[in-house]
Amino acid sequence: MIAHGFAEPRQPARVVLLGSRGFVGAAIARRLITESVNHIGIGSSEVDLSDASAVAKLTGILKPTDAVVMLSALTPDKGRDAATLMKNLAMMQHLCRALETTGCAHLVYFSSDAVYSFASGLVSEDTAPAPQDLYGMMHLARETMARSLPKTAVLILRPTGIYGAGDTHNAYGPNRFRRTAEKEGKIQLFGAGEETRDHIQVDDVAAITARCLMHRSGGTLNLASGRSLPFHRVAEIIAKEFPRAIEIVRAPRANPITHRHYDVTKLMKAFPDIRLTMLDEAR
Amino acid sequence: MTGAVIGFAGMTHLGLVSGVCAAEKGFRVVCFDPSASRIAALKRRELPVSEPRLDHLVVKNADRLQFTASDDDLSGCAVLYVAPDVATDDAGQSDLGPLTALLERVFAAARRDAVIVVLSQVPPGYTRGNQRDGRSLYYQVETLIFGRAVERALQPERTIVGCADPAQPLPAAYRAFLDAHGCPVLPMRYESAELAKISINMFLVASVSTANTLAELCEAIGADWSEIVPALRLDKRIGQHAYLSPGLGIAGGNLERDLATVIRFADERGTDAGVVRSWLANSRHRRDWALRLLHKHILSKVRDPVLAILGLAYKQDTHSTKNSPSLALLAHLHSFRVRLYDPVVVPAEANHPRAQGAKSELEACDGADALIVMTPWPQFSKLDPREIASRLRGKVVLDPYAVLNNADCRAAGLEYHRLGAEV
Repeated sequence: MIAHGFAEPRQPARVVLLGSRGFVGAAIARRLITESVNHIGIGSSEVDLSDASAVAKLTGILKPTDAVVMLSALTPDKGRDAATLMKNLAMMQHLCRALETTGCAHLVYFSSDAVYSFASGLVSEDTAPAPQDLYGMMHLARETMARSLPKTAVLILRPTGIYGAGDTHNAYGPNRFRRTAEKEGKIQLFGAGEETRDHIQVDDVAAITARCLMHRSGGTLNLASGRSLPFHRVAEIIAKEFPRAIEIVRAPRANPITHRHYDVTKLMKAFPDIRLTMLDEAR
Repeated sequence: MTGAVIGFAGMTHLGLVSGVCAAEKGFRVVCFDPSASRIAALKRRELPVSEPRLDHLVVKNADRLQFTASDDDLSGCAVLYVAPDVATDDAGQSDLGPLTALLERVFAAARRDAVIVVLSQVPPGYTRGNQRDGRSLYYQVETLIFGRAVERALQPERTIVGCADPAQPLPAAYRAFLDAHGCPVLPMRYESAELAKISINMFLVASVSTANTLAELCEAIGADWSEIVPALRLDKRIGQHAYLSPGLGIAGGNLERDLATVIRFADERGTDAGVVRSWLANSRHRRDWALRLLHKHILSKVRDPVLAILGLAYKQDTHSTKNSPSLALLAHLHSFRVRLYDPVVVPAEANHPRAQGAKSELEACDGADALIVMTPWPQFSKLDPREIASRLRGKVVLDPYAVLNNADCRAAGLEYHRLGAEV
């Protein structure tokens, strides 16, 4: 459950987006512009969080009244090894060291559903994290680092697979399906695409994040649509978006079939009037 | 009139019902409570609880009932029950302080040879921990069910008695009182009796949790739990009276208390309570059934909707709202307009900023976008779905306990949803 620091929404003094040029960061920036929220974006070209010099640079930028949104991370496509893990942890360590000096009003940490295992098909915020790889472990460690900051309202957001225009990643799911459908006229499934997964649209992620910022929400919240579909259904939905026939082909399955559904009741409780885009409704 | 005088200390739900029913069995009964104002209200026949037949029995047995706030009146009792309701917190933890204070008071006021019986539910170890040399102390398992308290007190299935030494016969006065109920008496050691009560509730929770788990699966795969239940009842290993009706989690507070007690003892002693934790998790999950459906069909679609909610009590035939699924739902609907009706509970108990009380069920429906039946009061089943449909602005009806008739609602053009069927 998340708790709102402000029952009624208020404009944050300033939002600092770390990782503002990424797929999600850019969407949040667009949303904050729409909401007329004062914000700045910081990308790796301005501050390399993995370098120790980031501490001094951030200390010079951050203010105690800021709401900081931490999106920067080396994703699995950049490496799944221990070196990547340590680099990711160093990024968070440098941010935390800076925040220990400057303080901030609100820290929103973007974690991942990789903190959960596939032991249960239904996941909620009450599900005990049990990361199965170094990437999930990294996010769980960074969550703990964030929560350890004194006198700071901390919100952990754990998104499921995010889709939408401008995705820079190539994870198995809607974005890759759309890309290969466009380029190659086909979508490749592992096995028959039986696995069920939840996918949330990037603009919905941005909208929820903006609302959390304006309520100064604290706690842990999963970001998911609440409707899971098998990958073969996702592929069919994507294929229908194209005027030409898209071939859906099967490749040998490398991993056993797993399912993941989200109980998004806590999201409904936090924002009872929230309207999320379902994958089969998205355009 | 039957022999010994029986005393009951603690005039809340359990003590009051038990005392009145003892009078109905023909005994003279002293009903004691330290609160003078509570006793004064009882003397005016203003009862703090609502139970079928209770008001009638108070009037009928007025000659045998003595309501008193004076400790001195306890000295005439041969058997003295200590029976205050035990409050629990949100985590299901009991506050035993008031019970212990009352027990001390009863020990001091009662005759040395009086039989003192703890009737309030206590965790294993409590009774032995409060035993006194030379005094006669027992623990008796209470069988109160909200809405059926009188029936259960007058006709218990069996009486479970916790004793310091179960090999010793029960004192004559106590035995005579128990025998008046015409059911088997099962003496056992204190700890067994204390755990027996919890064991009964654990089996009920297991049944309800299983029903809830399978009912949700029914909703997802197009099966109908109400069609499956009769088949289960005909299985002797499950039985006609098994708790198979799906619900909105485990409500009321007493079952949650027992779950918390089992978990605490298991954790302390290193035994496995994983299944109990799963029951609790499932209960929390199912409690939000109505909220999830409301969000899906109304809250995410209709701007500034009006919601008609029938029922605030945690179950039918009771005034209690403790752990009420209705109030739990309302707590998450503060930004929406709601119209409330309950036959017993006043709307103010919902503590909802945009609530409006209605004088009747149909008045609550007037212009509403959805109707949610959150307590299965029998009178709600008499509502005509055609009238409901004519009063509502929308068509959605959430009726978790299937108080209304599915076919009639659909025939009236309503989008009808209940637990255990496809949603």
